[in-house]
Formats: sequence, C-alpha cells, structure tokens
Amino acid sequence: MKKLPLFSVISLGFLYAGVVPLVEPNMAPQHPGSRLISPELIEAIPSWHKYGELFLYLQTHWVKLLFLIVLLAVPTVFLLHYLIVGPKIFSHEGRKFLIFPTWQRIIHWIAALGFILLVPSGFFIIYGKYFGGGTPIRFMRYMHDIGAFLFALVVIPMTVMWFKEMLPRLWDIKWMMILGGYLSKEKREIPASKFNAGQKMWYWVAMFGGMVMIITGVMMYFQDFDIALLKKLNLYQIDLLRLAIMIHLGLALLIVAFFFTHLYMSLFAIKGSIESMIDGCKSEDELKHLHSIYYKKIIKEGKDKELAEKCKD
Amino acid sequence: MYEYARMKFYCDEDRCIECNACTIACAEAHELPVGIHRRKVVTLNEGIEGKEFSVSIACMHCTDAPCSQVCPVDCFYIRADGIVLHDKDKCIGCGYCLYACPFGAPQFPRDGAFGIRGVMDKCTMCAGGPAPTFSEKEYQLYGQNRIAEGKVPMCAAVCSTNALIVGDAESVSKIKRERDAAKGKGPMTPYGWDQAYK
Repeated sequence: MKKLPLFSVISLGFLYAGVVPLVEPNMAPQHPGSRLISPELIEAIPSWHKYGELFLYLQTHWVKLLFLIVLLAVPTVFLLHYLIVGPKIFSHEGRKFLIFPTWQRIIHWIAALGFILLVPSGFFIIYGKYFGGGTPIRFMRYMHDIGAFLFALVVIPMTVMWFKEMLPRLWDIKWMMILGGYLSKEKREIPASKFNAGQKMWYWVAMFGGMVMIITGVMMYFQDFDIALLKKLNLYQIDLLRLAIMIHLGLALLIVAFFFTHLYMSLFAIKGSIESMIDGCKSEDELKHLHSIYYKKIIKEGKDKELAEKCKD
Repeated sequence: MYEYARMKFYCDEDRCIECNACTIACAEAHELPVGIHRRKVVTLNEGIEGKEFSVSIACMHCTDAPCSQVCPVDCFYIRADGIVLHDKDKCIGCGYCLYACPFGAPQFPRDGAFGIRGVMDKCTMCAGGPAPTFSEKEYQLYGQNRIAEGKVPMCAAVCSTNALIVGDAESVSKIKRERDAAKGKGPMTPYGWDQAYK
C-alpha cells in the first residue's frame, strides 16, 4: 500500500495527459483577437468593391486636389477681404472685461497647440511624395499623433465649458444674414452674445467633428481591434478602417477650412482680438460692437464692475 | 495586353493541407519580427465536412496594384516582371496601402516605447527591395532575394503538396489546367473568384 500515492500520482498524470491536447488543433500563428488575419480576410475580398474601390477613387482623384483648394482658396479669400474690406480696429483704451478665466485659456491653448501640430503635419502626410517621404514625413506622422493626443486631452473639457454659450440662439440668424458685419467697414452693434454664430459653427465643427476625428484616428492607429459593434454593423474590420480613413479625410477638409478662418479672425480680421485669449480680457469698445447682447447683459446685471476689476493691472 | 507574362502566386485549395509551412518558412527565411506574417494560411468553413478548405494568401502582386495608387509618398514600384515592391526608407507607415489592398497584405510591425507603428512590411515574392541586391541592407529590410539567386520563393519551395505555385502567370495557369483536367473537373474558377472579380 506504500506505493498507492505514487500510483495515484502517475495515474492522475496519465488522465491529465489525456485531457491536454498534445497538438494544438490550429497552429496558425494568428493573433487571438485579430480580424485582419482570419477567415474574414477572405470573406472581405468581395466587399472591396464597396469601400476599397471608393477609397482608391477618392485618394487618387480627389484628396490632393480638394486639400489644395482649401489650402489656396480660403487664404486667398481672406487676403482679398483684408485688402478690400480691411480689418476691424477697436479701441483698446478704457475699460477691459475678463471674458475667459485662466483655466479656459489653458484648455484653449492646449487644443490650439494640438491643432498647430495636427494641421501642417496632416498636409505633409497628404503631399508626402513632393517632399520625398522617408524620415521627415514619418516624423510628421508622429507629430500628427502627438497633436491628436493633446487635442484629445482637452476636447471633452472644452466641449463642456462652452456648451451653454454655444447653443444656437435666435439672433444667430441675424448674424448670418449680415455675415457678422465683416463685409462692411461700418462699426455697428453685431447681434451676438459671448460667442457669435461664426464662433458657434467653429465650436460644433471642431468639438464634435474633432471627436469623430479622434475616434477614426484611433481606429487607424490600432488597426486591429476586436469590437462587438462590427457584427451589428455587418461590416468587416477592413471595411471599418476604410470608412474611418474616408471620414477622417472628408471631415479634415471642413475642419481645416474653419481652422484657417479662426486663425484669420483672431490674428488679422479683428485687430488685437487674440489678446483676449492671452490675458482673458476684451476691451469695452470691442465687446460693445461685436458682442452687443453679451455687453448689454453684463451691464444690466451689474457685473461690469466686477469683470473690469479683474482686468486691472 | 502585356508582351510577357507577369509573376503570380497561386494556392490550389484542393491541395493545401493547412500545415503552415509557408508561413513559418517565410518568417524564418526573412527573419521577420514576431507578429508579422507575410503569408497567412486561412481556413474557411472549419469543421464542415466537404466544405472545409484552406488557402495561403499573401500579396497577390496585382497588375494595377491599388496600394501603389493610394500611397501618399509613392514608395511602391512595380517591376517589369510584375512583382510589386516598396521602399521602406520612403514609407511613413500611414496604412493607406492596407486600406486599399483587397487582400490585407500590408502589415505594420509595432515598436518603440508606445508600440508605435513601424513602416509597412509585405511579401516581396522573395525579390528583396530597392537596396543593392544581396547587400546587408537589403537583407535587413526586405529579407532574402531568392529571385536574384535564381530560386523560387521560400513559401513555394517548402510547400509539401505543391499547393502553392509561383511563376509567370501563363505557366501557373497551365499547371492548374492540367491538374483540373487530370481530376476530370474541366476548367474551373478558383473559389471565390467569381465573386471577387465579378
């Protein structure tokens, strides 16, 4: 009976050996979650005609052209505007009001830094062949990732912090009718609260378009991911990637056009308006004309003294 | 259309026994990083009797390769014999070639602190790359150049059932025709081609 423990160990060992498959049924070196290396790979071949062909067509015929149009036409329009209509100049003497508290400015500038990295690096990727490709353009791709990371950090706080003020209001229609008064030199009261209709458009495009850009960008960064959503959408992994790149490029056109507009407005069209994002203060003259509804509101509520106090130094 | 036949791969799904030798031999011959499979064996209808079959796929070296058309840095070049190759020094790893490729051939190794995506890697039909033939650099970036040595690609060389054949398209189709004729099948279209090339 002394040998019983030994016997039971050996017999258990045999039992266990019987359970363990000595040969894996499928030795294919596949990633467990990979949908790009799987039978789906073959099933997805016929679906190439759906999105693959479309991407091929857009990439070879339209992408470079459309981005060139945005890159040239938008600045040209603004140059003509600057030469014909000219910038709006407001007095920066007198009272100043604190419009953007420090934390809002920090969030804004992180997003801005993200955009400053994202937009040029994106153009370098699109026109990579004219720069020879290789290390410099690969570096631009890394910059694109870093810019996206910076923007992704602040996109939610930025959306939340201005959400209420960015909701469309009735006077925005009036703003649209006169195009914000940018077509005339005349100084008059423009119907706008803290943000005008143009800024609102930029906000919705940049925040929600930006979120879509991040989602599609992350999809393209990881490429191989396993989500249950795919089955519901009845799409193959590769189809999802193809849709992601097409949405990413299409939306980029819109966002870049708005980004140039935002730059032009803050740097050239309204002299000194960029200061409000540096020290957070807007001059009374500028506020009275360009944000008349907001100005009237703070005067009515008696907040003007308090806000002006914060801008004295 | 062409004066010469172009180099093509063909995997005979009647013969492929899913041994994965092609995948392993390719990875070994070219010293590929872990996770990169220039050639993949895919099994369809697994477990369904009579319908299960496997096929080994890699870059198909397309005649008008979509990857080369969408590449934003123009890193692809197609040799006169039809082999589609790319320049890893030019490639930025954007992934456009993968989105355009019907066969999922382009792969991207991940490296660095954040698992950053490297430059594209795909089947070269064992024909190396733009670096000088047989140079150390060519071997490092693209693997062996067996075509220049006068050998068939590694995957086809090791295929024990001769399921994977490679060569100029006319010879490949001749072999396939003879095989089908020997089985009394008559001329057949490979599985899925009637859908893919409709």
